[in-house]
Amino acid sequence: MSDLTQLIGGLPILSMITLLPFVGALLIALLPSSRPSLIRVAALAVSFITFVLSLLMLPGIREFSSEFAFSEQISWIPSFGITYHLGVDGLSGALVVLTTLLSWICILASFGPIQNRVKEYFISFLILETGMLGVFLSLDLFLFYIFWEIVLVPMYLIIGIWGGADRIYATIKFVLYTLVGSLLMLVAILATAFSHQAATGSWTGAFDLIALRGTITDPTLQALAFGAFALAFAIKVPMFPFHTWLPDAHVQAPTAGSVILAGVLLKLGGYGFLRFAIPLFPQAAQDFAPLIIALSVIAIIYGAIVAIVQTDLKKLIAYSSVSHMGFVTLGIFSFNQQGVDGAILQMLNHGLITSGLFLLVGIGYERTHDREIAKMGGWASRTPVYAALFGFFLFASVGLPGLSGFAGEFLVLLGAFLVNPMVAGAATLVMILAAVYLLWMYQRIFTGPLSPFLKGLGSHLTDVTPIEIATLAPLAAMIVAFGILPSLLTNAFATSVAQFLMYASGGLIQ
Amino acid sequence: MSGDLLTIAPLITVGLTAVAVLLSDGLTPNRRYAPIAVALAGLGLTSWILLQQSGGTVTALSGAYIGGPFVAYLGLLGSAVVAITLLISPDHLAARRYPSAEFAATLLFALCGAILVGASGDLVTLFIGLELMVIPGYILAGYAKRDPLSTEGAVKYFLLGSFSSAILLFGIVLLWGSTSTASLTEIATALTAAGAGLQPAVAMALALITTGVAFKIAAVPFHYWTPDAYQGSPTPITGYLSVGPKIGAFVLMIKIFLIALLPLAASWIPVVAILATATMTLGNLVALTQSNVKRMLAYSSIAHTGYLMVGIVAAGEGEASGIAGVLFYSVAYALMNLGAFAFLTAVQGRPGATVQLSDLAGLGRKHPMLALLAALFLLSLTGIPPTAGFFAKAYVILSAVQAGGIASVLAIVAVLNAAIAAFYYLRVVIYLFMRDPAEVEVQVATAPLLRAGLVVAAAGTLLLGLLPGGLIEAVVKAIAS
Repeated sequence: MSDLTQLIGGLPILSMITLLPFVGALLIALLPSSRPSLIRVAALAVSFITFVLSLLMLPGIREFSSEFAFSEQISWIPSFGITYHLGVDGLSGALVVLTTLLSWICILASFGPIQNRVKEYFISFLILETGMLGVFLSLDLFLFYIFWEIVLVPMYLIIGIWGGADRIYATIKFVLYTLVGSLLMLVAILATAFSHQAATGSWTGAFDLIALRGTITDPTLQALAFGAFALAFAIKVPMFPFHTWLPDAHVQAPTAGSVILAGVLLKLGGYGFLRFAIPLFPQAAQDFAPLIIALSVIAIIYGAIVAIVQTDLKKLIAYSSVSHMGFVTLGIFSFNQQGVDGAILQMLNHGLITSGLFLLVGIGYERTHDREIAKMGGWASRTPVYAALFGFFLFASVGLPGLSGFAGEFLVLLGAFLVNPMVAGAATLVMILAAVYLLWMYQRIFTGPLSPFLKGLGSHLTDVTPIEIATLAPLAAMIVAFGILPSLLTNAFATSVAQFLMYASGGLIQ
Repeated sequence: MSGDLLTIAPLITVGLTAVAVLLSDGLTPNRRYAPIAVALAGLGLTSWILLQQSGGTVTALSGAYIGGPFVAYLGLLGSAVVAITLLISPDHLAARRYPSAEFAATLLFALCGAILVGASGDLVTLFIGLELMVIPGYILAGYAKRDPLSTEGAVKYFLLGSFSSAILLFGIVLLWGSTSTASLTEIATALTAAGAGLQPAVAMALALITTGVAFKIAAVPFHYWTPDAYQGSPTPITGYLSVGPKIGAFVLMIKIFLIALLPLAASWIPVVAILATATMTLGNLVALTQSNVKRMLAYSSIAHTGYLMVGIVAAGEGEASGIAGVLFYSVAYALMNLGAFAFLTAVQGRPGATVQLSDLAGLGRKHPMLALLAALFLLSLTGIPPTAGFFAKAYVILSAVQAGGIASVLAIVAVLNAAIAAFYYLRVVIYLFMRDPAEVEVQVATAPLLRAGLVVAAAGTLLLGLLPGGLIEAVVKAIAS
């Protein structure tokens, strides 16, 4: 082990990463509301330190011989064997870094737009960060569920307080959709734990992911519990037909809310399938796979077609998310190396690219206070840097080879092809549709003569500021880096994928 | 004999405290807080005695009174409920010129009844305890005697309450007659010995007892008295009524259904399961449509009755953790519901105020701390972690899943209902934080005792959410006896 890993290995590094934002939120609560700039800087500092800590954790993951590195396990509710159990592998490590990266970017991007109730905003955001990190790092089902629900409350507030005109409708829809899924998942978690207790006569390990994997043999329980888990995750991804909350939430959320929603919250669903639903209930997952693949293909096609006709810029990107996330579930349920690699890449890339697009939409909205595509036109003539950045993220989203979006979708299609060439063919056609709706949107907004609406804004229509560039640059750099060398990522989570495939094929059940 | 007196010491202490409260008011007539202080001191002493008795089971008075960990648990819970009510009430009552000494004494008498219900070993003490617990409730419901709504609510409560007591008593007598014993455990033995098949008299008794108990816990369709009684009463009293007598009635249910009538479980489980489904669903659906916050909480408390009944069904299926779930839920429900009513008391600073949802708009800006505590109670009532309400729901649902059969169907009904409930609980949060302030501001009461009550309830709600282990162990110990 390297010196760094040894140094960090002596610390409860995962707890530190998870709880630091929460501690930061408590500290910010003590700051006076009359000093908004102090609050902003404090929030940025806390989230940036969390990011640095997560980077320090990253190299150590592969040096551990066990599946999960930096494990921490403390008894929490001994009567039911519930423990505070954290651990990280390549998959969750990558998602943790994505979360900590997007968190500080979002906080930086909120400096300008959020002028109202600044303190409450940053407190909510930091608590949200703790919740998301907890979901990725929990190895105890009960703990996982608690973090999963904790994510809900700050997001509910962020959309509901700092959102657009229809924010209350959007936020309550978001909460109710998520809650129905997650509450049924709670019943499934409890049923699974009880089946373990009934089989072994003890509650020890009844909620522990590692102890439970490969032990649940009752086919009825598998089917019902997988159904409940899958519903919760499908709503979060979101899969067709559970996606209708997403466009509303995206349109109404403030910019940073949209970014974190697209960048991290949707990934919770994909992660849930990979870490919990499939390894715990592999037979049921195999049985459900055709259905889920069919729904994924529908989501891919439907999201793209609906995106074409959108008139609101944010809604267009929201529907493109439905389409792109369809690739994630398609890849996962291909149950082969290529598909799963591609699905994870697609999760990370979508997190980088769509976050960038939402940031750019937010930057435009700051200047125009409008997102109506029809009102725009010729924007590039006034703000060339903005237009160039937009173009960059757009091409990444289309899946231009050389940028990171390509590798993920390509691998997913390869994986799908091995399972069902028809499915892969249908999904490939959609990559053309994606080019249609994104490029057409770009053309309408940025090229041609300057529209009267934009002309009317006069000198308000400024180009991007250095702070805004600072929020976009790290994303752009990673998109290029992972576009050229996707193996940087696939190597990082190779072990996780191998483990996943072993459990998904029912490897341990004799 | 002296051993018996020692065993029933909690009962005596509470009774004497009530007398001391009345005396202290006579001796120092103009000191508003003196009776409260005496009452709190008496409750402290009672709690200490209960803790001493929590070691093992002791019977007194020829088996009529069973002391031990179960009573200790319920007595401590009851003492906490009364103590929190005593903290949030006096200033509210004084502002409306209602006396607080009689109020405190009435509450203490009700606590006597609750302890007696928890300790009862036979049907007679059980019924006496029940009446001792609910009659003070009728008095309290009508405490605002110059307010016609309060009087109307109290009369409805009293009439339906007495009516249901009579039905219950009739059932008890039939049960007693057909098994020739009043002892709860001996009834169970007799019923087991009688074997399968329901005798007509026992069937009749079962029907009457189920109806009577359903009235007492306010299960649908026997809930009609609740909204009026709750809305008409002074707000802190509503808080008490929605918690104290309800939990007491559930203890009665545990005693009758899970001890005496356990051999007949197969007969009553379907009925209670249907009642539970109707109670959860209707309570939540009607709560959705309320714009008066107090009435909304009244209907929501009906829904919580339904969740508690899920635990009873699970226990009837032979899963002991069902009782544990009910006992844990009772504590969580007491803390969060009293907290919610304490919040409502605080925003009803002006006499005669009724709080509509729209009155709460923008309260989060003027009174951030109060709004934050309200949000905590509401999230806990919704069942979102890390709060007491979440663990309570999880515990009850776990027991239902363990029991299997009908109970596991109820588990799914319960969680779907929790999603419905989220809509109206979170709607209050929307008004508190997401709407612009109302034109006419609500007056907020900030009496120190009320604040203390809010803080105690909030601390309990949060603590049970983060570290539920201790209470779970206490619950397991309480039902082991």
